[in-house]
Amino acid sequence: MTDERKMEDTEMDHILSRKDEIVPSSGFAVSVMEAVRQEAAAPPPIAFPWKRALPGLLLAGLAIIAVIVGGTAVFIQASRAVSAANMPVAPAPLVVTGSQNGPVMWTGLAVLIAFVSFKFSMRLAGGRG
Amino acid sequence: MSASDDQAAVERVLAGDISAFEEIVRRWQGPLVNLAYRFCRDRGRSEEMAQEAFLRAYRGLAKWRKEAAFSTWLFALATNFYRSELRRIPAHTVSIDDVREPVDPRASDGGLEDHDRDRAVRRAVSTLPDKYREAMILFYFHEMDVPAAARSLGLPEGTFKARLFRGREMLRGKIPQLLAVPRLKEA
Repeated sequence: MTDERKMEDTEMDHILSRKDEIVPSSGFAVSVMEAVRQEAAAPPPIAFPWKRALPGLLLAGLAIIAVIVGGTAVFIQASRAVSAANMPVAPAPLVVTGSQNGPVMWTGLAVLIAFVSFKFSMRLAGGRG
Repeated sequence: MSASDDQAAVERVLAGDISAFEEIVRRWQGPLVNLAYRFCRDRGRSEEMAQEAFLRAYRGLAKWRKEAAFSTWLFALATNFYRSELRRIPAHTVSIDDVREPVDPRASDGGLEDHDRDRAVRRAVSTLPDKYREAMILFYFHEMDVPAAARSLGLPEGTFKARLFRGREMLRGKIPQLLAVPRLKEA
């Protein structure tokens, strides 16, 4: 480190170390304590209702798994159909033709999930089924 | 009030005596407000930030593990909050180009007064990138105590020193004339 740089560093330390302090306003501590007392008086935050939410979360998880598994199965089935027909067609349109009952089944499942989720949320919100 | 007084006050608060927290506030209000002021350079905002830091300390008192001094824990908590607060709403800073400088800073008859020069250097610090600015603020707040400043920032000392070094380099590049000039009143 050169002498010039050392002098600059010393100068920088001198300037930035110089006391540049402010005094908290007279009511600061009182104001903090007021906020602390309000905090202490406030009711504790409501805990997340895990017991009530757990069935719903499990159901949602199962539904997601079912959709993934079902989707994969349909995709594989469609791919096989394409291979069998030896046609270079994208699998998406064949999903529909893969099974005649497929769309009906999925629609029914979607309606069922929507109904269950509606009833469950009504029960959570109003405390009645 | 000593470190053991801090601990006693904390234990009373944890036992349900909220008024004991006032001892902590009165003891540390000056340092916490001043640390906030060094971050934001705004008196009103520094008090608001310090108040929120105290509230967070109150909420988290049980998390103080007593391995380090209460002040170390408190400064680390406050520093962490001030940093995130300043990132959320940055302090009003003036571009280094707007800092008034003398035509010939070495001139003994018309240069910057010490006060102006100090202000210019502090403004230059405020224009540094966050991580270097924070290192410099904490270094001088802790009266050039590297371990204390590093603890407040939650950094290893080596990392802190590297940031400090880089910050000083950048500052030197921003205000070469101001640092090179001998202080006028002494000249």
